[in-house]
Amino acid sequence: MMRDPEVVFDGVSKFYGEVLGVNRVSLNVPPGITALVGPNGSGKTTLMNLMAGLIFPERGTVSVRGISPRDPEKLMRVLGYATQYDAAPRGVTGFDFVLTGLLLYGHTRAEAERLAWRAIERVNLREAAGRKVAAYSKGMRQRIRLAQAMAHDPEVVVLDEPLNGLDPLVRAETISLFREWAAEERHVILSSHVLQEVDVISDQVILISNGMIVAEGEIRNVRSEISEHPSQFLVRCRDASRVAAMLFGEPHVTEVRLQDDGAGLLVSTRSRDEFAQALGRIAVQSHEIEGVIPADENVDSLYGYLIGSGGRS
Amino acid sequence: MNLAFRLRQALLIARLEVRRAFFSKRGFWVYGLALFPMLIFLGHGLEVKWKREAWSKSAASRAQLDTIAEGQTLDEIERRLGRPIRRHHWEDGEREHDSWLYSDGTRQVRLRFTNRVLTGIQSRQIANFDEDRTVLATVFQYFYLRLAIFFGCLGIFMNLFRGEMLDKTLHYWLLAPARRETVMIGKYLAGVAASMVIFGLGTAACFFAVMWYQNPVEVDAYWGGAGPAHLFWYIAAAALACIGYGSVFLAAGLLVRNPIIPAVVLLLWESINGFLPAMLQRLSVLHYVQSLCPVPAVPIDDDIPAVAKLLLAPAESASASFALAGVAGVTLLVLYAAARAIRRTEIDYGTE
Repeated sequence: MMRDPEVVFDGVSKFYGEVLGVNRVSLNVPPGITALVGPNGSGKTTLMNLMAGLIFPERGTVSVRGISPRDPEKLMRVLGYATQYDAAPRGVTGFDFVLTGLLLYGHTRAEAERLAWRAIERVNLREAAGRKVAAYSKGMRQRIRLAQAMAHDPEVVVLDEPLNGLDPLVRAETISLFREWAAEERHVILSSHVLQEVDVISDQVILISNGMIVAEGEIRNVRSEISEHPSQFLVRCRDASRVAAMLFGEPHVTEVRLQDDGAGLLVSTRSRDEFAQALGRIAVQSHEIEGVIPADENVDSLYGYLIGSGGRS
Repeated sequence: MNLAFRLRQALLIARLEVRRAFFSKRGFWVYGLALFPMLIFLGHGLEVKWKREAWSKSAASRAQLDTIAEGQTLDEIERRLGRPIRRHHWEDGEREHDSWLYSDGTRQVRLRFTNRVLTGIQSRQIANFDEDRTVLATVFQYFYLRLAIFFGCLGIFMNLFRGEMLDKTLHYWLLAPARRETVMIGKYLAGVAASMVIFGLGTAACFFAVMWYQNPVEVDAYWGGAGPAHLFWYIAAAALACIGYGSVFLAAGLLVRNPIIPAVVLLLWESINGFLPAMLQRLSVLHYVQSLCPVPAVPIDDDIPAVAKLLLAPAESASASFALAGVAGVTLLVLYAAARAIRRTEIDYGTE
């Protein structure tokens, strides 16, 4: 029987005593890279823990590719979770930490060792694999947690702040690994507070605040649904001040700012379509438009619009 | 995933966890509890050895000591036996008191004089094997089973889940591709292995600590007779106590945060077990394991306080087979409750 390929939250609420974790969350997360974005305490880790069955909802149901998180025996064959906490038992080496998990899957020792080395090499920890995890730096611990979460080749990888503490090279390699997985129709669900990074790596974004889902979907789609904030575009052109004057006459344009170099404008408009038509008219009048790029189709802007910069973590 | 696979998973988890159960920083005091009685017996043995060695130089013969009788004077006895090993003199108004100690190498004989006339003779073996075995039985039943293994298991088994929650590492096991019951059984087996080794060896060490200073002839006779069976049943009782108490504290570690509460409740329950109706007595670990002890403990004196008597009163004993079945029954019942609890366990390090 075909399993549901999505991660589904259906009316999920979770409270910690009287403290709200998440409230009435309904989500369908498709395969690909999905970023959970929200301030500290907004409910990101709660959502991840619910997916992994570390906590259970008071109301609603969670399903990970058709498997209930209450069935770890099945779930953990398709899901790998790198939490923000160190999990290595005291005194174990990085290699043993990864190997142990694999042995529980029923692999032979030889096969488990092969998979452990493969995962460790992917996070560039081969040389340190024989050292005790307790002696690792913060970045190395992060990497060994990643290796442990992905060693069994899961279909769904859940990662709590996975890029924290990684050096630029490993960070780039890790992001590339995430992209490989996403291309293989796997789920990569991660949380991050580095919004620029989320912007670069995510296919989808889930914005969460105070335990409620504020927005979800592809970043561009989410942006286009926010009507109360004018869209911003960066227009590169030679005759910036004349183009600015022309755009300012358009009724849908709310703000035009000249760039410091005099060769660009930041334009705010209430109508993307009318803005496109206006630019067309300006171009026809022999004003060379070198380029137009959306200035607020990124997580940083969405975060600011929907959650507010005060909640940024 | 069949039963055999789950069993393999549980054994793997046990193998990984046993190291933690043995060497947990929070649990080193358990070794102290396990070895404390052995140290006491060792100390007593050293004292006996020292007395034999030191007193042999000035020992009187057994025949000489047997000629001493009340009414003899102090000077007369000194002429006959020589200088005593120890002497103590004190006065009480008009009367003079003296206490002299002699030994023939195996007995210590204390002579009491009033106004320099012998008024009392107190003779006892330097080491009395029968008496020491009864002391061992009493220490084993009243201290080792009721307190040392009880609190030792609390330290080992509560740590299996609560300790990991405090260390923020429990999620490692809950994220394993195994049923939670399998994880629980694996951890329980690790705790049982560690506690049985620690307290089994502790029991054996106590047993041998009582032997080493005894008369070799008596020890050989004991080993040729009931000795091996006694050793076996002491260790069996300790092992069963680990199995029973282990299950209770494992469940407690999953159900409550503060170990003091279940410890106090269980200790009281176990202590008043002898006064409970027969049906309720069966819901006790102590009831069964005490029944396996091969040597009766010293009976409780009438003059000890009522509360202490209540806490020390032994339950009616059960046959060995009934005791084994009873511990197994209690353990399975408690493990079933623990299995239900672990299915509901959530990771919430923030509130720890």
